[in-house]
Formats: sequence, structure tokens, C-alpha cells
Amino acid sequence: MSRSVWKGPFVDSYVLKKAEKSRESGRNEVIKIWSRRSTILPQFVGLTFGVYNGKKHIPVNVSEDMIGQKFGEYAPTRTYYGHAADKKAKRK
Amino acid sequence: MNDERICVGVIAGAFGVKGEVRLKSFCAEPEDIATYGPLWTEDDSRSFTVEIARPVKNGFAAMVSGVATKEAADALRGTRLFADRAALPSLPDDEYYHADLIGLDVVDTGGAPLGRVTAVHNHGAGDLLEIAGPGLKNPALLPFTRAAVPTVDLAARRIVVDPPEGVFPE
Repeated sequence: MSRSVWKGPFVDSYVLKKAEKSRESGRNEVIKIWSRRSTILPQFVGLTFGVYNGKKHIPVNVSEDMIGQKFGEYAPTRTYYGHAADKKAKRK
Repeated sequence: MNDERICVGVIAGAFGVKGEVRLKSFCAEPEDIATYGPLWTEDDSRSFTVEIARPVKNGFAAMVSGVATKEAADALRGTRLFADRAALPSLPDDEYYHADLIGLDVVDTGGAPLGRVTAVHNHGAGDLLEIAGPGLKNPALLPFTRAAVPTVDLAARRIVVDPPEGVFPE
């Protein structure tokens, strides 16, 4: 069952505080968070969060198309290396 | 093995009794493995041309040059296949093959060495470079963005990084 709309999206309060503080300072930093359950809000766009995956903080650059998802979706808890082969990386 | 070759797949064994092999592709688009020209074994001793017959579970059924029987196909089980790096198509600006990025030296904007790229990940929020170095207890993950990685110099085999605070230990 989906979450009631009247409650609004769930975000741990410390995530909001840290994001606001980082935006005000204007520093280029990774905001370390442990809250994988928090929803990505529009005011997080452009910030980089370090989302804990149980072992380390995975950098997550928040973009517009990620709004409404949870932080944990972008920091998998299992690592698979695979083969490089012809896979490509794009510098954004 | 030649450094200018990259592993694109492996022969998983025979498929059927007519000399076909089960081919496992590591390519981003699995069927592209047949488009990279002759594929070489790890020790450069043999080369094969590959013709994909059809997709099967866990790969493709394929005909490989010089293999006509099930016994010959079975003998190749576990053989890793390498393509010439030059056979891969060229990419637009700001796009790089993982194989080219892995192994590059990482220096900061002041020229101080930080380590070496060991892997490239993408968990859905952009590409990440995994960097390991003598001063790093655990590998660091750096977003592959123009801000964090202003220079990629493939000819000099190095990248210049301007990491955000918190990526590398102080």
C-alpha cells in the first residue's frame, strides 16, 4: 500500500538540516548520510550525498529525475565488478 | 597477453552436438561480441571468428572458426576471448571505455599522486571511479563529473581530479 499523500514524503530531519547547511555554505562537499530510507526532495538537486551502504559512503549526485526515489536505491549493498569489456562511462 | 586487447567474453562449453559453442558475452550489448573482428585467446595462440546463431540461456549459441565437432567445442570450455582495442568504435567527447579508464594514474590539481583507477561503477546516479592508492585504507569513490575530474589525459595515462571534501581522507 502506498504512503498517504497528506503525510508528505518521508525524510529524516537530520538529512534536511545537513543539506540546508551545505547549500548555505556553498562548499563543494559530500554530505555523509546513513538514512537510506529518506526520499529525495527537489531541494536536494545539485548536491552530492554520501549514502551509507553498510560499509562505505557511496557518492550520489542528485539530479532532477531522481526526485521521489529513496537514497538507498542509488547505493547498492552488494558489489559486483563484472568485466569492463566495451562498457562506457560518460563524464557529466 | 597483449595490453591492447580487452576481454569481451568466454566460451562456456559446447552447445548441442553439431560443433556449436555456448558463448557468454561481457559486452554492454551482448550481441556486439561478434562485431569486433577476430577474437584472440589469452596467450595469443589462437584467433577465432565468431558467428552468433541464436540466443540461448546464459549466452549465445555460436559457430566459431576452426571448431566443427562437439569434442573440439568442449575442449575450448573456459577460454576467454579478447578483442583488439582498436576494433572498438570511437566515442564522442566526454565518453570513455571503462577499459581505458582503469589503470590511469590519479593526481590532484597540484600534481600530487593520489592513486590509480581500479574500477568504474554506475549505480544509477552517474558513473563513479574507484580509486585505490598507497595512502588509502579503503578505495575511494569519486563521481565522474567535469567538476570532480576536470582532465582525462589518455595519452599521458593520467587523470587530474578536484575531489569534493570527504571523498579522500584528510
